[in-house]
Amino acid sequence: MNLTTMNRSQVVSACLLSGALSASPLVYGQSAQHKGFIQASWQSASEYASWYERGASVNRFGAGDDRLNLSRAVLDSRFDLSSSWSAHSVVQYVPDPDSKVGFTELYAQYKPISKGAYQPQLRVGGFYPKMSLENPDIGWSSPYNYNYSALNAWLGEELRVFGLEASLKRSGKRLKTPSDHNWQWFVGVYKGNDPTGAVLSWRGFSSHDRQSVFNESLRLRPTAGFMSPQLSGQAWQIEPFTEIDGRFGYYIGAHWSYQNRHSLRAYWYDNNGDPAIVNYDTGQYAWDTKFWSLAYKFKITRQTHLIAQAMSGNTAMGRARGVDNDFDTQFVLLTHRWKKFRISGRIEQFQVKDLDHWTFDPNASDGGAITTTLKWRLTDSWRLGAEFQYLETKVANRADGNFPTRQIEQLWRVSGEYRF
Amino acid sequence: MQRQQQVKIPTKRNRKRRVLSALARVSLFTVLGATSVAAKAVTVKVTDEEGQPVNEAVVWFESSQLTKQSAITKLDYKMGQRDRAFTPHILVVPKGAQVSFPNYDSILHHVYSFSAAQPFEFKLYRDNPQALTFANTGVVELGCNIHDWMLGYILVVDSTHFAITNDKGVADVSLSKPVAQDVTIHVWHEGFADLDQPESIKMTTLKTNQTLTYQLNQSLFKPKEDFSDEFDDYE
Repeated sequence: MNLTTMNRSQVVSACLLSGALSASPLVYGQSAQHKGFIQASWQSASEYASWYERGASVNRFGAGDDRLNLSRAVLDSRFDLSSSWSAHSVVQYVPDPDSKVGFTELYAQYKPISKGAYQPQLRVGGFYPKMSLENPDIGWSSPYNYNYSALNAWLGEELRVFGLEASLKRSGKRLKTPSDHNWQWFVGVYKGNDPTGAVLSWRGFSSHDRQSVFNESLRLRPTAGFMSPQLSGQAWQIEPFTEIDGRFGYYIGAHWSYQNRHSLRAYWYDNNGDPAIVNYDTGQYAWDTKFWSLAYKFKITRQTHLIAQAMSGNTAMGRARGVDNDFDTQFVLLTHRWKKFRISGRIEQFQVKDLDHWTFDPNASDGGAITTTLKWRLTDSWRLGAEFQYLETKVANRADGNFPTRQIEQLWRVSGEYRF
Repeated sequence: MQRQQQVKIPTKRNRKRRVLSALARVSLFTVLGATSVAAKAVTVKVTDEEGQPVNEAVVWFESSQLTKQSAITKLDYKMGQRDRAFTPHILVVPKGAQVSFPNYDSILHHVYSFSAAQPFEFKLYRDNPQALTFANTGVVELGCNIHDWMLGYILVVDSTHFAITNDKGVADVSLSKPVAQDVTIHVWHEGFADLDQPESIKMTTLKTNQTLTYQLNQSLFKPKEDFSDEFDDYE
């Protein structure tokens, strides 16, 4: 991780964490847990180069990438500082585009044991809001499909908060009159998520499992819009987690669960970006991005689970909201565990609607995908799996590069994983 | 050949009982000439109000005549955690016993109890078990601060004569010699309305190799089907 490219809140959280970690053995004894995996994959490549190779494909592995590679490595660590406080870090490696290692999460958590029905909790640092039910595995991975839904692939690449999250949990079984309903309410205040929405606007939704690290810079294909004087301040890459306008963003959320069988998570996220502000040094705008997300999980049986999520929002940049887009996406996922196997199928759709009048910069895109995955847990440490994805995308600005706007892809992926 | 003798013994009603059922009945099966029984034990069958066998009920005997066997107290008691569940779900130990908490999972557990008998908390890493001596009698309800659905019990009793019923509702409580004076039989189940109130019944004598049936005088809360899985801690 390059310190010079970290923004202020990232540096603060890293300092807080390293200070806490160095002090923890003195007060609480040795207490750390490290989990992780190393994954190798072969994926059939797209016809076009990947987006971060400035190509027109929305896949991680574009033309020429159909070879076995070390597709991901994750180190998910927990350091216990006291009974109530712990520090968490997730470091990930991805080979694309040029072997990147960095933090995807780094935060301190306050979670006291509580006698009563109400339990307050805090998280401070850089982390994901827990609005999704598709990514509960270590390193925010999906235990279901290799390539995340477009919805969560987008959260993985453009959304992270650097700030404070407070929550209050109400445990139904501990109420005086016990109840099967559990609640947890969240509020988050943060900085450093200003360019969120840019990748969605210029590339569109995608389905992959590449999560951006804290100091990420995502390259984009330079569309005709980038050549216009109106977008001359915009760099050809996006630094999604940087702070541009100095304003705080916020989110609120509620989790409801019933009998540990039905789970519902509703969130409203608003980065409160000032679209008129641009950092000319880095070429990054503050985008005004807000959306709601609704996630649902139903354990039909102990083995068969249904997961669904929907999101709808708006993102805009420029003094007069020259880029102004609505976006929405939904997926339904069905997964079944049988002995050491898990089979999962997901169907989804997504779209970005171009609302602005900058016709030189078309942002409209839409598409959908059907993904089926079989995973095999050979042992606790070794896992194998295969995935097939039918992916259809239509992105208006592909026409700039004389690419067909509609791409239909049938992608195979085989992955092997060592876990520790 | 067995001759069955049924004796009705009134019990002291617990005001907290929500269910005013018929009096608990104890059937005494006097076994004559049961020479085939090797280990000396009293067989207690626990049934619910409908007479159906009750699984995982704890049965123990208390009497001034019963000497506590230090070998039982010194046994190696374990309350493990496997697949994000306490194993065993219910552990009975005599007062003064030490219990270790081995973590068989590869992930951390943060085990705690707010019980009056023994409040405590541990962060349990794999291969780093902690142990605790339980010096007070009572029910120690266990939870995990990371896996909220985990639930387990350690029942600390003032006796070394105890057992847990199997799925046929039968518990064999060891008794090396008969008790000729007052003896109290205690029964506890996690479905009781008040977990701190075991059901009890006094008997004048207790013979080895005797068979008793104890019918609970309250209905039990039925445990919900457990739908927890390894990803439920993402909350």
